[in-house]
Amino acid sequence: MNNVLLKISGLKAGIEGKEILRGIDLEISRGEIHAVMGPNGAGKSTLGAVLTGKPGYEVTGGSVVYDGHDLLAMAPEERSWAGLFLSFQYPVEIPGVTISSFLKTAVNAKRKAAGLEPMSAKEFLALQKEKMALVRMKPEFAKRDVNVGFSGGEKKRNEIFQMAMLSPTLSILDETDSGLDVDALKIVADGVNALHTPETSAIIITHYRKLLDYIRPDVVHVLKEGRIVATGGPELADVIENEGFDRF
Amino acid sequence: MIASDRMGHGKYIDPFRGMPPTHTVGAGEKLVLEYVILPGESREVTLRIDLAGEGAEAEIRGLYLSGTDEKVRFDIVLQHRAPGCHSRQLFKGVAAGNADVRFEGKIVVAPGADGTEAFQESHNILLGETAQVETSPQLEIYADDVKCSHGATVGRLNEDELFYMRSRGIPEQEAKALQILSFLSPVIPGASSDIENAVRSLL
Repeated sequence: MNNVLLKISGLKAGIEGKEILRGIDLEISRGEIHAVMGPNGAGKSTLGAVLTGKPGYEVTGGSVVYDGHDLLAMAPEERSWAGLFLSFQYPVEIPGVTISSFLKTAVNAKRKAAGLEPMSAKEFLALQKEKMALVRMKPEFAKRDVNVGFSGGEKKRNEIFQMAMLSPTLSILDETDSGLDVDALKIVADGVNALHTPETSAIIITHYRKLLDYIRPDVVHVLKEGRIVATGGPELADVIENEGFDRF
Repeated sequence: MIASDRMGHGKYIDPFRGMPPTHTVGAGEKLVLEYVILPGESREVTLRIDLAGEGAEAEIRGLYLSGTDEKVRFDIVLQHRAPGCHSRQLFKGVAAGNADVRFEGKIVVAPGADGTEAFQESHNILLGETAQVETSPQLEIYADDVKCSHGATVGRLNEDELFYMRSRGIPEQEAKALQILSFLSPVIPGASSDIENAVRSLL
């Protein structure tokens, strides 16, 4: 098995004719956690959007190979089936669709793509209960419409709960720490750490070092003006905290 | 979308002049009408409803799923003629392909129909590039102490919701079907498999 899970080469992308990513090179091995830090407008969220195939973004150059596949040629749902997961910075509300039916549809779509039978109701409920406990969500939440009327912290916990249900190989956490108090941050971080295995990887996109006190990255990148301008170990996050992004 | 609104300016004119009501609801009676228009048919629904007796009620719900070369027309005039009558109208639908949908709904609150409560909503999703929906709600009020509202929207599926669902592995067609079924559910709670299949057939 190839140890490299994700290889981004010279990736250029933008939206509405405006170039935001200006040549990104990034390689992530299985089991690694990478942090991508950068100021507002650096292209952090664009990177997450392009990797997960959000419509509206245009790739103008470069390539992304994920687990041997040409990632950019795949539909968003195919990327999910292949083990990619994005924790949204702003989770979307879906009125009229309960968390439970939403995730049942998602879990069974993934199973179908893998040639498996749908999960039985009993099995699904047991899995749901177990994974909700991981992020300390009350079981009643499963009956509520997806993210409708949730607080900021509840939305982020719901993202990590969904991550747990889908057990992705590569998780991208887009500013999962934004708007969270310390307690919620810790719950989210504990969830992410519990799901981490030697076979799974994560990209933590963040503005601040705080989350990285709880989820220890192997590699830290600084993204600025659409390019990675520095790469280092966890100590790079401390440099950023002390000296800001202007240094780079 | 065309929306017009007249709030009792001018002189009251009997809306049923020359065309008797199709439904007359007497004192204390309740009229319930439900329309489900599935793909495969063009249909015209013409209703002239007269809430003629004190405390009469009307509840009208309509759902349409309209595909290529199909036409749907709702032409509704509902009059509150007696005091204390209540009416609720909810219409929702999806226009796919080059479907052609028109909704005209008029509520008239006649002089003396005090204590009226009248609500009308028409919400529409355009699925096809060349589908057309025109909705024209009208309200004429000639009485006092009246609670009335009407709302009309014509829109497309929410792209953010679709991407969110797809990013979780829900195939595009299924994501659209889920969104449409949740949009329709207030009209017909617990949609039947006929409606589910009809929604999928439009995608």
